Amino acid sequence: MVSIARKNLFQDLPRFIVAQAGIMFAVGLVTIQTGLLNGFTRSSSLLINSANADLWLASKDIRHLDFTLPIPYKNLKQAQQVEGVERAEALITQGSVWRYGVEGTATAGAIAPIRIIGFDPEGSLFHPAPVSEGNWDSLNRPYTFFVDKVDLKTLDVKRIGDGGEIGSYKGEIVGLTSGIRSIVSSPYVFTSLPNATAFLTSAMVQPKAEQPAPLALRDENRVTYILIRAKPGVDLEQLKRRLEAAVPDTKALTQSELTSMTQTYWRDSTGVGFILGLGAVVGVIVGTVVVGQILYSSVTDHLREYGTLKAMGSSDWFIYRIILEQALWMAVLGYLPGMGIVLVLGSWVQKTQAIQILVGPMTAGGVLVLTIVMCCGAAIFAIQKVTRLDPAMVFKS
Amino acid sequence: MPFSFMTQAMETPPIGLALEYAVYAEGIEMVFSTGDQPLKVLKGIDLKIKTGDIQLLMGPSGSGKTTLLSILGGILTPTAGSVCLLGQYITALPRHQLAQFRLQNMGFIFQGFNLFPALTAAENIEVALNLKGLHGHEARQQSLKLLEQVGLGDKSKSLPSDLSGGQKQRIAIARALAGKPRLIFADEPTAALDSQRGRAVIELLRSLAKEEGCTVVMVTHDPRIMDIADRVVYVEDGMISPEPPGGTSSGINTHHS
Repeated sequence: MVSIARKNLFQDLPRFIVAQAGIMFAVGLVTIQTGLLNGFTRSSSLLINSANADLWLASKDIRHLDFTLPIPYKNLKQAQQVEGVERAEALITQGSVWRYGVEGTATAGAIAPIRIIGFDPEGSLFHPAPVSEGNWDSLNRPYTFFVDKVDLKTLDVKRIGDGGEIGSYKGEIVGLTSGIRSIVSSPYVFTSLPNATAFLTSAMVQPKAEQPAPLALRDENRVTYILIRAKPGVDLEQLKRRLEAAVPDTKALTQSELTSMTQTYWRDSTGVGFILGLGAVVGVIVGTVVVGQILYSSVTDHLREYGTLKAMGSSDWFIYRIILEQALWMAVLGYLPGMGIVLVLGSWVQKTQAIQILVGPMTAGGVLVLTIVMCCGAAIFAIQKVTRLDPAMVFKS
Repeated sequence: MPFSFMTQAMETPPIGLALEYAVYAEGIEMVFSTGDQPLKVLKGIDLKIKTGDIQLLMGPSGSGKTTLLSILGGILTPTAGSVCLLGQYITALPRHQLAQFRLQNMGFIFQGFNLFPALTAAENIEVALNLKGLHGHEARQQSLKLLEQVGLGDKSKSLPSDLSGGQKQRIAIARALAGKPRLIFADEPTAALDSQRGRAVIELLRSLAKEEGCTVVMVTHDPRIMDIADRVVYVEDGMISPEPPGGTSSGINTHHS
């Protein structure tokens, strides 16, 4: 069957290109906004993915990953005694102050927010990955830490061996992670539990003349979480209840519960979903208007031919199908390059900014369906024109 | 005899009439509303066209002949009167049935050709065949055959923009003949052509119509094609006139309603 739709579409190439640019813009905007929302949501709980625990034991007042009260270190021992617990490790996550330390730089002495992540480098329940350079064992040395490659510029350091001050204690970078960054958090500084405690208890004013060796944690020290690995076959719900009963003022959460709690908090409290959604709606409106205008003017240009088809006896549906086929071609041919550009852009943003534009199969499929609906919806204007078309117009010169 | 087309439409036309006349119209009236004043364009026209005839509708501009052609072709519904085509009263048919009737029985040729500019000559004809239910290879072969018939076998892949006016009209004729219609309605098919090409187009239409046994109803201003017509009627002020306005007939059979 002759495809009038395809032929009409490609007949006027400049107009076709304008239409495709409009659709690509709409596809790009919707995908980027949705991808940013996905990336933002995922990024807000990214740190949880570094853990290999069944349960997280936290203060009963926990609101989300980054907002909870500290719990005593002695809770670790209590948790280890609970039936069904195979292994327990402490984790510290707490905000602190980074003082730019590379001498001679413009920022030397200025401060920036960071988030210290203290964990047991020899443990098995928390290991940020991937590591780009260095070895976790290096963290057993006093005042050493890892930072992420994407944060080097933010922290005004360049490589392993560079230093900076946390609180009022000097420290040294001994390793780099790659791509562990949360949009909602300050740059992560990974270190051992004793180092983290030392940094966090240091005075916030410099200079500190003496820098004592970090001490192993004692019962009265504070940590943020106790990570729990359950023995094989243990019912996690029952273990949660046993832990909460055995360790006072705590709440036990599975990894997925903590992830969900954190993602929901950031999505709802910041209004980011609404803002990014609004951008996506603007994209759809722009795309609909562009496609609608192009299809309408295309139909107007070919009105005499459509009138001829009607005079010959064609059904309205035969003509509607031509217009809808045009809309479908426009949708698919606008979607493919639009999505391609977004994927390339997303990859570049991830690499350079560590901001994730997360476009999974669901998002890609959803945007394709939305693009088709948008284009077919825009075709309604053109279809209305054909519906009103009087075939007798073909006899008018 | 005046009658309501609604009541007439319910009746079966006499078998003799259906066989003898391809077009049988009675009491055709057409009123257009233009502002506050209704404009009566056709005023009770009766017209019978024999099967296989080439019938010309002539008359000055604004006389109502194109409106009459549109009504006879089932594209416009008259305000009053009835049209029986090929034994079928069409004036009271529902819109979709009327479209189906046109598709099955009629071909149209237009002054401005009305070809799809993005489609090749063969594809323009294929679209008409597609509409009539012929698809794929069969439709392609049929369209090429029709192009051969109108002498444009070598232009099957040409776009309308690459063809002369005469060639475009020949493609339009081939399209009108697609699916072997029994009635062809043509609106000033030579108006956009010079006299030589116009005559050639009409000769072609005549020979193909006779070959295919089509009845042709043609609106024209062109007196040079009168001699190939079987019958001529003159439309003036919305009425059929037995003689050309301000003159005598040219020896061609004129219709007397």
